[in-house]
Amino acid sequence: MAAILEARNVTKRYHGLVAINDVSFALERGEILGLIGPNGAGKTTLINLISGTQPPTVGSIVFEGAPIDGVPAYRRSRLGIGRTFQIMRPFPGLTVLDNVAVGALFGSAGGAGKLSEAQEQARRWLAFVGLEKRVDQRADALGGPDRKRLELAKALAQRPKLLLLDEVMAGLNHVEIEEVIEVIKKVRAEGISILVIEHVMKAIQSLSDRLIVIHHGEKLAEGKPGEVLTDTRVVEAYLGRRRV
Amino acid sequence: MKLGIQLALAAVGLAALATLPLWASPVIIQFGTSALILAVLAQGWNIIGGYTGYSSFGNSVFYGLGGYGVAIGMVQFQWPFAAGLALGIALALAFALLIGLPVLRLRGHYFAIATLGLAVVMTAIVSNIEIAGRNIGLIMPLVRGDTWFYEGSLALLAATTLTIAWISRSRFGFGLIAIRENEGAASVMGINTTLYKVLAFALASVFTAIAGGIHAYWITFLDPESAFDIGLNVKMIIMAVFGGPGTVFGPILGAFVLSAISEILASKLTSLASIFFGIVIVVAVVFMPRGFADLVRRFRQTRWRYFQENIRAHSV
Repeated sequence: MAAILEARNVTKRYHGLVAINDVSFALERGEILGLIGPNGAGKTTLINLISGTQPPTVGSIVFEGAPIDGVPAYRRSRLGIGRTFQIMRPFPGLTVLDNVAVGALFGSAGGAGKLSEAQEQARRWLAFVGLEKRVDQRADALGGPDRKRLELAKALAQRPKLLLLDEVMAGLNHVEIEEVIEVIKKVRAEGISILVIEHVMKAIQSLSDRLIVIHHGEKLAEGKPGEVLTDTRVVEAYLGRRRV
Repeated sequence: MKLGIQLALAAVGLAALATLPLWASPVIIQFGTSALILAVLAQGWNIIGGYTGYSSFGNSVFYGLGGYGVAIGMVQFQWPFAAGLALGIALALAFALLIGLPVLRLRGHYFAIATLGLAVVMTAIVSNIEIAGRNIGLIMPLVRGDTWFYEGSLALLAATTLTIAWISRSRFGFGLIAIRENEGAASVMGINTTLYKVLAFALASVFTAIAGGIHAYWITFLDPESAFDIGLNVKMIIMAVFGGPGTVFGPILGAFVLSAISEILASKLTSLASIFFGIVIVVAVVFMPRGFADLVRRFRQTRWRYFQENIRAHSV
């Protein structure tokens, strides 16, 4: 298995603050890699560096064997890197259908040529995430859980090879989380590699093939979910040191 | 209403408007010409301000450059009108690309502020250029009748509106709308936002420059003050926003309705006209902030509640 994505010694500094410090990892093709860490650990920053909305200070991001540093965000998306936002960013004035159609029009490999074609594809992706009943509503009329699904459908409509999911389960109840997990498993079955940030431990445990833990911008641990979550350093990062 | 039906209705309206010079008085034809030119300006602004979401105060510069292309071509080089117009379009395009590349990197209000000074700068520059007649201006030969200008403006408005109808259904247009709705999300969805914004600005510049060229030739006189008039830019925005920015026909409606209102007020009230015009604008913004097109679309469902909802939306 060749890695679809590699981060090589990536560092991101904001003036004095080091948000990401010398992080390296690889994501294998077809893998679901979980990225966890306490609040402010630098998870979203790492996704921003991969999707290209921010450049790393030092280090390199390699996608499908080629470095993509200096490639702007819109072209990374066309290469096949799709993402969702933790703070959801729908196009509020457009219908749910047209929100997703934008993804289909501008997705990887040039996207759909015609609007009707893009809307047809958008309909399929909305059915895929379970939003088919809301296609004609305006995006800003959707509630929280449905907005999460919309985010996902928009990213999927771009036909990404790699999908970066930034807390798509935050704020959802148990039933909704189960539904989203099923959708993500279906996405993987389509052959898409996934990097997922999540706070919901149970979800990420059952979903991920491997986990990476980030703490204060540094990679703390990496490995199978069962091993990582019992690692004393990880437990300390989340719960604090045990005082006897 | 489907876009196809709207375009069919528009074609009927266009045919009716085209017959106007056959039966109307010269005063009506002149009023019609200036309303049509304002409608083109509102539509030009619609491309960059309505669809892309970048409130431009630089469109009056395109208008002025279009006028100066015609004036310089005809007066200084004795070119025919079409050649002068081509020069005007080239000047406006060059300006759109030159200014657009740096300025369109500014988002939201900063873009509006950055373009606000352009008209003043151009007035100062052109006032010192010999070939443009300095601050005295240029006088063009009067050769065409009013009908020619009326029909020309009508044809230009039709071309502009067809272009916008295409934009509203095309990949390019969806890219512009996505930029307006959320530029950050648009860029990670594969849209080359800088390129799209500059293209929208350039497209707006072409139609606006042609309108400026036709208007200058019609009036046969051009000086820097009237060519680069920021007040005209404000007018375009008011008309587009009144009618419905980001819609295919809204800005035309806005231009026609507001031109008529201001004409009637000017003839009945003279000095008080601009106060009443201001009141009309304020009332419109309060009761239908999304423009006339949105009112027409939603009034059948919501009835008078439409206005209540809008007022409530203000108070939140």
